[in-house]
Formats: sequence, structure tokens, C-alpha cells
Amino acid sequence: MDITEYIKLVFTDYTLRTITLGTAILGAVTGMLGSFAVLRKQSLLGDAISHAALPGIAIAFLITGAKDSNILLLGALISGLIGTFWIRGIISKTHLKSDTALGLILSLFFGFGMLLLTFIQKQPNANQAGLDKYLFGQAATLVESDVWLMSIVTGACLLVLLLFWKEFKILLFDADYTKTLGFNTKFIDILITTFIVLAIVLGLQTVGVVLMSAMLLAPAAAARQWTNSLGVMVFLAAIFGAFSGVFGTAISASQNNLSTGPVIVIVAGVFVLISFIFSPSRGLLFKQIRFIKNRRDLQLHKTLSFMYHIAETHENISHPHAIKILNNFQGYTKGTLQKLVRKNYVKIDGSMWSLTSEGFKTASNLYNQQTEDNE
Amino acid sequence: MSSAQIEIQLIASLVAIACAIPGTFLVLRKMAMISDAISHSILPGIVIGFFITQDLNSPLLIFLAAITGIITVVLVEYIQKTGLVKEDTAIGLVFPILFSIGVILIAKNANDVHLDVDAVLLGELAFAPFNRLLIAGVDVGPKSLWIIGCILLITIGLLFAFFKELKISTFDAGLAASLGFSPAVIHYGLMTVSSVTTVGAFDAVGAILVVALMIAPAATAYLLTTNLKRMLVYAICFGVFSAISGYWLAHWLDASIAGSITTMLGLLFLMVYLFAPNKGVIAVLYREKQQRTEVSLLTFLLHLRNHSEEEERHVNHLNEHINWQKVRSKTVLELALKNNMIVIDNHIVSLTEKGKDFTSQALDYIITNEDSKIEHMKDDFFLFRG
Repeated sequence: MDITEYIKLVFTDYTLRTITLGTAILGAVTGMLGSFAVLRKQSLLGDAISHAALPGIAIAFLITGAKDSNILLLGALISGLIGTFWIRGIISKTHLKSDTALGLILSLFFGFGMLLLTFIQKQPNANQAGLDKYLFGQAATLVESDVWLMSIVTGACLLVLLLFWKEFKILLFDADYTKTLGFNTKFIDILITTFIVLAIVLGLQTVGVVLMSAMLLAPAAAARQWTNSLGVMVFLAAIFGAFSGVFGTAISASQNNLSTGPVIVIVAGVFVLISFIFSPSRGLLFKQIRFIKNRRDLQLHKTLSFMYHIAETHENISHPHAIKILNNFQGYTKGTLQKLVRKNYVKIDGSMWSLTSEGFKTASNLYNQQTEDNE
Repeated sequence: MSSAQIEIQLIASLVAIACAIPGTFLVLRKMAMISDAISHSILPGIVIGFFITQDLNSPLLIFLAAITGIITVVLVEYIQKTGLVKEDTAIGLVFPILFSIGVILIAKNANDVHLDVDAVLLGELAFAPFNRLLIAGVDVGPKSLWIIGCILLITIGLLFAFFKELKISTFDAGLAASLGFSPAVIHYGLMTVSSVTTVGAFDAVGAILVVALMIAPAATAYLLTTNLKRMLVYAICFGVFSAISGYWLAHWLDASIAGSITTMLGLLFLMVYLFAPNKGVIAVLYREKQQRTEVSLLTFLLHLRNHSEEEERHVNHLNEHINWQKVRSKTVLELALKNNMIVIDNHIVSLTEKGKDFTSQALDYIITNEDSKIEHMKDDFFLFRG
């Protein structure tokens, strides 16, 4: 199947269109909210919440006996919130650290959820099949009403973000200052946490409990590399998330036996990898290039200052010297000499070199001031 | 009890002990989430190992999966060292991606692999006794019992051999390094043991229960003691207790054994979290309330000392001028009366000799802020609690 054909199919085929739209919206909303989770150093909270939502799904099913996805998600939301606030309680009231609290709630809630799920499976209720799709997610089960729900939540989330933008931003970077300004930090905190939980719960059906945390983190971590501005980061994260959803769906649809959730996560992972390597200001590649450049610069300066010390001993600074005497000097290469010549610091005459007056001046001021024409 | 039941409980208990030992150190070193990451990211290792060996219990598979665990740790530390993202984000990025690779590997080769993601994550302890180990045709017991037994023996051996090093590097990494123990060796040693334990146990109890068995008993024990040896013993006891009671809960509910063991761990933690003598929530809340009252009492006594005029010392004044609620002013007044700090005469409060002494001591402490004064004060404050 080639690309144009696939794009045509996205617009005509109901299932494919629903899934593509659903995963794109999901990626956008988790990317947006994930930015806050990453910057608040709560990256693993997503993992804990998504696991903690499982017993809620099971209990909601046990109570209603029906598999209405909205009610199940409501159960997941409540149980996820309980898990989140219990984690906070453990961290603030006991000496257990945040990682222990996260791991504890994650595994205990998940285990309890599994107990309930296996218990439900033994019940004589024909309805129960398919509850385990929440474990690993099945994008194929998305229907139009799910997409509508996602869009509504995304719209609400956007509205709240715009409305409380300044509060969220200031709480993110200076919580104490926010308090002194008279903002109700508890309320803002609960608001943003609730939306993060809501986004996670929405994604459970599509990518599942286990992989949900990556959906939250990966777009945000990738976006973080490209900018230092919160607004741009949230926007970029939403774009990365949406594209992970679209590409992930396309790749899994074009192959057999490829579930959508893991593919989306891997696509998001590729975004992160590219961002880590190629981001201009923070990326590993440019960091390495800058590092090498600085080292070369330093070597050039070292050679120049070595020449300067030799030239100093003569009355005429342009007194020629043999190139040979440079050979024992570390950091000297033919390349650096050529570079110095090109900068008009040094003149070469056969096998002899001499400093120009410009080179002498630069060398004498080398460690006194920042020269502007550095490499 | 049939022999299969005994075997299941034995395996569960051994897994609980094998997890509690490295788990204690993970919790103390603030690396609990690493165990969660390892438990997920061993999946591709298991799948590749399974392609090669075609046997879920082969030592090569355990070895390959354990290496994946170490790779996870190294990757997380590498990403963390680049400074591009924080440590927790690094963990959160690495394991879902490795897990996804594992899931896709399974899905693409579904026809040749008799391996289920559910089985890896959740395990099925109930089937463990059916997989027997035959040595020269003689049935010597379930395979997983032998595997986890071996891992446990090695873990205990390493624990006794390196207890001192582990202890010192956990609580003071700088001192350990200056004394010549390499923190890196101990760190990766611990990571290796955690990874091997996770892999060895996943077949029997599933990866998620391994995380629960590592973190929950240790965290529960940590709320009860601050002594490392005692913490280890408590953690092991909690683990074994949950394993056995969890088995019977599952038996009764006819549900997943791993799920019920985790549920028992959760209940145990909840109990201790609420009722632990010094660090439980109820104790902490009670102490906070006491401290609030004590501070109020001190403020009140100092106020009395500073004002000789009667209208400032009227009982009703407490509500009006110091902005206290009725309930609080009543508790404070009663507490002060009970300790003979004040006398109330016709609604006018005045300090007794004892109260005066106390306030001057308190002032003395507030002004000098010397430690020697604190010791004395502690005794005084203890009086009020009684």
C-alpha cells in the first residue's frame, strides 16, 4: 500500500479514520499535559496513575455489570485520583521517599486490579470479555463516541490551560513565590494533577496501562530539547504527540500483527532520540561539535602564545624562526599553522615562520580579553 | 493440603524472601522505581532468549534477560548524565520503549512463540508445580522452585559477604568511596541481583508482583524501624506472611494468586501506614496537633507575661485578640491550668510562679537559640503530653 492510497483510506475508511483521529487527539492532549508533568519532576507519576486506574475499572464493572466505557473511565479516574493523593500522603506524612511511594502505589493498585479482573473472569457474566484490553490497550476498539469524548476533554483542557496559564507557569517554576503572591497553590496543583490523571485515563483504552507513561513523557521530553519557553514547549509537545499517534497508527495499520500502542510509543521514542541528538542548543551532536571546536580553538591559542614567547626574546617581532622548533610543541599541526597564516597572524617564508604585528598584538592580549574573531 | 499447594506456597515464600533482600536496599537507596523499570524492560531479553533456547526456564534465557535489565540501568544513567532530562524522565522513557520492542517482537512472531505478554507481567503461580525438573529421570520438584532457590542462595551468600559494604555505601556513599569500596561495583552488583531476581521470579509470579514484593515489604518495614538488620528481617517476614496468606485468599476467591499476594501486601502496608507507632499517619497527625497546641500555649503564656493590664488578660480576649477559635482556646487554657501554669480568677488569667519560670526559660531559649537549652525544654514539653 503506498502513501497516497493510505491517505485516501484514512479519509474514507471509518475505522481507520476514527483510530487515526483518536490517537492524534490523545497524543496532543497527553503531550500538552505531559510537559507539566516533566517540568514538575513528576514523570513517573503517569506510570503510577495508569497502573492505579486498573482497580477502578474493575470495580466500576463489578458495580454496574455493564461495559459502558464512560462509566469504566469514571471508575479509572476516581481510582487514579485516590492513588495520586495517597502517593502525596505517603510523601508528606512519612519519611518514605517519592520513588518508594510511586512504586508502592503502582504495584499494589495494579496487583489489586489483577485480583479483581481474575475474580470477574470467574463470574458467570458474559459481558466481562474484553476488560483486559485496558491492560495493553486496543486502538481498534475506538469508536466515534470515544473520539468525541477525547475531543471534549482536550477542549476543556485547552480552555483551562489558557485560563490559568499564568498560574500554572508560576507554580511550575517558583512555588514559594506563587504562595507569597496570594495564589491558592493547592487549588492550582489539584487542578493540573486532575487533568493529568484525566488524560492518562483517556489513553488507557488506546495504549493501555503499561505504555501510558511513555505517551505522557516522550513528546514532552522531545519538545523540551528544542526550546526554553513553556508556551512553545507545550505546543511542540502537542504536535509531537499528535504525529506519534498518526504515524504509529499508519505503521501498525500497514503491517499484520502489529498492535498500535507499542508502535506509537516507539514512534514517540524516535522523536525523543532525534531531539536528543539533533537539537541545536542542547543536542548531543551539536554539543560534541562545539566541544571539538573549542578544543581546536584552544590549541590554536596555545600555538600562538608559544610563538609569542619565542618572538618576545627578539627585538624585531617579525624575526624569522625555523618551523622545526614548533615540532616538539604539543597541539601544533600543519593545519593550525595554516590557519594562523590565513588569519594573517603568521607569515611563512620557506621553512621559516615569523609573527606579524597583528599576530603579536593578538597573542599579547590573548588571555586579557575576549577576542571577537575567535574560531 | 495437597503437595501442589505446599509447593506453590513454598515457591511464593522463597520469591518473597529473594525479593525482600534487594528490595530493602533499593528502597533505602531511593531507587525503588528502577525495579519497576527492570521488571518491564526484561521483556525483549526474555523474547530473544526464548527464540534461542525455546525454553522459558533455561539459564541462558535468565542470563539474557538479566543483561537487558543491566542495559536498562546503564541507559537510564547515560541519558541522565547527558543532562537533557531529569532522572525520573529517563526511567520513564527507557522502559516503555524496551517493553514496546518486546511486545512487538512477540506479536510479529506470534506463530512460533508460545509466550504471552500477560504471562510475563502476571505470571501464573498455579501452574508452577506442573513444570517438573527431572534429573536422570527422577522428579526432584518444580523447576521454578529450583531456580528461585538457587537465586535466593546466591543473594543470601552475597548479603552475608558484603553486608558491611552494602550498609556503608547505602548510607554514606562518600565515606564508602574514601574507605576504598567502589560504590560503582556495589551499585551494579545490586542492580544485577535485582535483575536476576526479577527474571527468575517472573515465570512464577509475574513481573508486577516482583516489583510489589521488592518495594512493599521494605517500605512497610521502614515505617517500623530504623535499624537495617531489623528492617531486613521485618521485610522478609512481611513478604512471607503476604505470600502465604495471599495464596489462601486466592484459593478462597478463586482469583489470581499474584494479585491476591499483592493485595495482602497492600493491606499490610495500609495497616502499618495508618497505625505505625511513631511514623504512622495517625501518630504523625496526633503529634502535629500536640505541637500546634504547645506552640499556642507558649504564645499564650508569653502574651500573659507581657501584659499586666486586665483587659488583655480576660478569658474572652483569647478569642478576640489572638484570633483563636473557641475550641482551641479552651484546650490551651485547660492544658495550662492542668500544669499549674496559670490561675483564673474571675475570668482574669494570671501566671503562677511555675508559669513565670517556664516563660523565662522559653524566652531564654528563643533569644540564645542554644542546643543545651533545648534538652531541658524537651522534658518540659513532654510534661504536657501526659
